[in-house]
Amino acid sequence: MTQIDIALKVLDHQILDRDGRRCGNVDDLEIEGGPGETARVTAILVGPGVWPQRAGWIGRIASFVGGGRRVRVPWGEVREVESHVILRKSAEELGLGRGDDRLRPWIEKIPGAHR
Amino acid sequence: MRTLSSLQQRKVVTESGDSLGRLYDLRGELTAQTLTVTGLVTGKRGLLEHFGVLPRSTSPIPWGDVVRIERKRIVVRDR
Amino acid sequence: MSKIFGVALGILAAIGGFVDIGDLVFNVSAGATFGYQLMWVLPIGVIGIIVYSEMCGRVAAVSKKAVFDTVRERVGFSAGLGALIASEVVNLMTLAAELGGVAISLQLLCGLPYRWLLVLAVLGFAIVIWVMSFEWIERVFGYGGLCLLVFAVAAMKLSPDWGKLGNGFVPHVAQNNSLLYLYFVVGLLGAAMTPYEVYFYSSGGVEEEWTPKDIGLNRANAIIGYGLGGFFSVALMTTGAALFLGHGISPEHLGTIALGAQVPLGTIGLLLALVGILFAVGGASIDTVFSGAYNLAQFCGWEWGRYRTNANAPRFTLTWIVLLVLGMGIVMTGVDAVVLTEYAVIFSVVALPLTYIPILLVANDEQYMGRHRNGRLANVLGGVYLVVIMVVALSAIPLMILTNVGQN
Repeated sequence: MTQIDIALKVLDHQILDRDGRRCGNVDDLEIEGGPGETARVTAILVGPGVWPQRAGWIGRIASFVGGGRRVRVPWGEVREVESHVILRKSAEELGLGRGDDRLRPWIEKIPGAHR
Repeated sequence: MRTLSSLQQRKVVTESGDSLGRLYDLRGELTAQTLTVTGLVTGKRGLLEHFGVLPRSTSPIPWGDVVRIERKRIVVRDR
Repeated sequence: MSKIFGVALGILAAIGGFVDIGDLVFNVSAGATFGYQLMWVLPIGVIGIIVYSEMCGRVAAVSKKAVFDTVRERVGFSAGLGALIASEVVNLMTLAAELGGVAISLQLLCGLPYRWLLVLAVLGFAIVIWVMSFEWIERVFGYGGLCLLVFAVAAMKLSPDWGKLGNGFVPHVAQNNSLLYLYFVVGLLGAAMTPYEVYFYSSGGVEEEWTPKDIGLNRANAIIGYGLGGFFSVALMTTGAALFLGHGISPEHLGTIALGAQVPLGTIGLLLALVGILFAVGGASIDTVFSGAYNLAQFCGWEWGRYRTNANAPRFTLTWIVLLVLGMGIVMTGVDAVVLTEYAVIFSVVALPLTYIPILLVANDEQYMGRHRNGRLANVLGGVYLVVIMVVALSAIPLMILTNVGQN
């Protein structure tokens, strides 16, 4: 059990899946619970679709350029919060890192892609 | 359901209207399964305080002291 | 023993990699315009890049994060996005300037048409990056850049006025043409403290998985490598002063810069100078294109790095390819490489605080750095350079406008 500053320690940090693969940054955090109740962080929100709520009109443009997807990762999938946020499952299982997965077959067509 | 980013930068005031600055961050308790929000981190001195250049002007406000969350501000019990 | 050898190799690569097109243009021009009077700016620039790189390297070793990971975490998404956009624009300008320089030096070496050589060079770089490992890329271009030592030999052969040279290290402001003088101060500092170098250095540190144990080694590498690299700048300015000052020659073409080695040393001097320029500026192109890809990937959270295979960091790979093509496109429009270099250096200077300030904050942050946070010396230097960088960043564009980009 540790006390942390959530925006400092979690928000905008790199996410690694269980194999150490980089699969996004913590673009926002979902919180449930209001005044008088227990408030908990219930999910990590990842993806360009989350950017408009972070940076106004520039965020909207960036989101459009980035493809506008968003992925919700329930907080239960988080194994630990260190320098990076490390997940219990692989990126594919959680729907993360899709951009890389979809581009990879094209890159692999070029000889020497595994150098 | 809210997002952390939407709470950041909201003004924090007491019920009697005293300003406690803006919300920079939330304090949380991290366990193996959960991350519970335990308090508000606020400050009156703006960015320099947020970045740790100036010392903190207010101490964290326990989550239990939060009375109301409005669209542009957060109201807490008088301190 | 082999560790010392490895360090020596690293230092050699750093020395050879220190000079890029900004240094070539500004140092020789500064000598040609003001003689030795601007020498004092060079140590300030060298120490500045050492301070900045050391902090970034330490942050990379302790937190395993490179510059843009750090920037986004520390200042948040919207400020980070602003810094990213500014950095990528400046990076692309710098890349185009370097690629232009490569094409020109190839043209001077073999006489073939400029645009064909540009395409060949870009294709060559793409293949090199695709196929070669990180260390080999740095070594080949770093050692090739050592040919620039010919300028040091040339500078001595030109029998410079050593008294005036020495005097130049004493800071002072010129009486006449002071606006142009200040413009050169800004340009020389910008050419020494290139942001892409720092992004590249810190990302390389994460790629090579530096740990706190590597901090001392890399501090030494930075100090010795950049320190000795600074001598190249001294040699370039001396060549400009000894050869061009007073003759009304302004090095507006790379060819004129290479003359600095040809006049005292003949054809062999010219050849070595051109080869040195080719490798130094070519290496800088590769560093710059990597920096652009590193920054975008780190900000977005993608997999990145040359130590991942091309296929394992697909978006990172696509980014550097696209950046190379865009850089080539800019040069193809026929924009003058030297003019583009001046703009790139000046805009780099303006963007410098956007990443320097977050790094300074993180290097001081106990939660990130533990016991490796900035000590008193690092903070004194860091603070002094914060002031220097802010002053230079704020005055760069006004000076550029007032002196008509150094034409006066």
